Amino acid sequence: MGGRYLARKLLQAIITIAFIILLNFLLFRLMPGSPDRVLARNLPLDVRQVLLERWGLDRPVFPDQFVAYVGATLQGDLGESFKFQGVSVTDVLAERIWPTLVLFGLGEMIAIVIGLALGAYSGWKRGGPVDYVGNGISLVLYSMPYFVIGMILLIVFSGGLGWFPTSGMLEMGATYGSFVDQLLDFLSHLALPLTTVAIGLIGQYSILMRASIIETLGEDYITTARAKGLTEGYVLRRHALPNAMLPAVTLVAINLGYVIAGAITVELVFGWPGLGTLTVEALNSRDYPVLQGVFLLLSISVVLANLAADLVYGLLDPRVRT
Amino acid sequence: MTAASVSSADPRRQRFRLRIRSARDFAGRFARRPDAVIGLAILVVFCILALIPSLLVGPLETATTASGSALQAPDAIHVLGTDDLGRDILNLTIHGTRISMMIGLLATLVTIVIGTSFGIIAGYVGGAVDAILMRITDFFLVLPTFVLALILAPIVLDLIGSDALVFGIRANLFVTVIVIGVTSWASTARIIRSQALSVRERMFVDRARVIGGSRLHIMRRHILPNVVNLIVANTVLTFAGAVLTETTLAFVGLGDPFDPSWGQILNAAESRGAPGLGAWWFFAPPAACVVFVVLAFTLVGGALDDVLNPRARLRR
Repeated sequence: MGGRYLARKLLQAIITIAFIILLNFLLFRLMPGSPDRVLARNLPLDVRQVLLERWGLDRPVFPDQFVAYVGATLQGDLGESFKFQGVSVTDVLAERIWPTLVLFGLGEMIAIVIGLALGAYSGWKRGGPVDYVGNGISLVLYSMPYFVIGMILLIVFSGGLGWFPTSGMLEMGATYGSFVDQLLDFLSHLALPLTTVAIGLIGQYSILMRASIIETLGEDYITTARAKGLTEGYVLRRHALPNAMLPAVTLVAINLGYVIAGAITVELVFGWPGLGTLTVEALNSRDYPVLQGVFLLLSISVVLANLAADLVYGLLDPRVRT
Repeated sequence: MTAASVSSADPRRQRFRLRIRSARDFAGRFARRPDAVIGLAILVVFCILALIPSLLVGPLETATTASGSALQAPDAIHVLGTDDLGRDILNLTIHGTRISMMIGLLATLVTIVIGTSFGIIAGYVGGAVDAILMRITDFFLVLPTFVLALILAPIVLDLIGSDALVFGIRANLFVTVIVIGVTSWASTARIIRSQALSVRERMFVDRARVIGGSRLHIMRRHILPNVVNLIVANTVLTFAGAVLTETTLAFVGLGDPFDPSWGQILNAAESRGAPGLGAWWFFAPPAACVVFVVLAFTLVGGALDDVLNPRARLRR
């Protein structure tokens, strides 16, 4: 891969992250409802002064506070939660990140495989029955908020049929005879939210992939390949798919930012103890440090995912390395 | 304007005739697409619901004027059942149409105004201005804007006070409009800029510049009219996104309980545990409305895009 391409993409990602940190700082310090007001609401003046000094808020916003903030952020110190007194935001985030990673990592994988396959097939057999039905379903799914999918699954499979538990990640207060029992309990809690995430994403990915393969099929090299007398299956596998996959992969990475909105609501519906429920809890108790931490964590993850997609793209497609 | 008189009729009249013809042409191409017609029909129905909810189902029911008992299943009187406070779901849902559509519309306007201004200025002025504006745009494109909206909303709400009325709109709803607008204009700006870049190179822009037209004048009278096709299609698609975002924001608790949108009803259903209780009627009607409206806007927007901008195939 060209060194300049690599350097440019890296630089872009670093600048974006710098912007994110700056934005995070500005949101919290310069707006009304600033930490000084939030911390020191309804306190006597002298107590307030002590608090301000304790948190360094009596110093000028720029450069003192800004430098202190950036320094702390770079060391992974995101402050303390308002709600869980005395617990650092980093610890709160660390506890909640695993459930989200499991749920969305698995959901993404399932959705990418099924969604891309479905989209590729629909685009290939454009106008056929699978395309017709699949595209219709994808459009409806695309218009449906994730949490609605979740509520439907919940009422059918949990409320109605009683196959799965309604909420949480493990049975409350349960003791397990063995690791397998615990795993089974975990999986039965995971089943519905995971299905929700996968269904929600499949609609999006299949629409992306369908458009991409239809565009590819219009290219001259596909006509050439067919003219050479290659079988349809061969043309699809060796000529159309590899080229159609590229834009689809990038779009999957770009979409990550939107997926997070869905993530938050799905976790809420199923009481899944991940970053999504944490965000809503923090929102309702106005726990700004945690909200900021969530924002920082999620936006940097998205930037890194985009960077990874750019680099993979550069590796696979020589044309973009300039 | 002292244009040389062409052929017989006066130019204004001819221009008018030309407009009528192109409008008819457009309507014809639009009407030939079944998806567009279905989408438009759905939207007309919802616009009627939004305009005259009280004529259809009476005034909005509140906790004190609730007409039924808690969580009744659908029957002859309450066609769609009642919520946990005994309010008629049909009544709530139809009144929710107005809130959801209005928030969607206002948020779309804010989005389009910001996005179009950024796009036209960046595309026409170019140079360092373009570079800076596009850097900001890219930043907002990468950002998980929904999370940003979640943080911004309570901050703005604390700032203006949650009981305030802004332009006659309750604070919660106003904040939703602003937050959606501020976080979702970036893709519009990108699309408009690319078109503005190509319009800038056209001959009539040079002519306008040579006869001394100011930048502002050229952007308003020459660039803007030539990107209008893109704006129209983009507006409709943005509307779909705005309705979805509003629903999601209200669902996580940023709605207004006194002016319930569809998302707010869904939030109430979720927090009372309706799915676990089997009370499907509590959330199915507002959810169906959201899906119908978003689907309709997506269909109409897609069709408009194809008809108005046949060559500029937009990657969403």
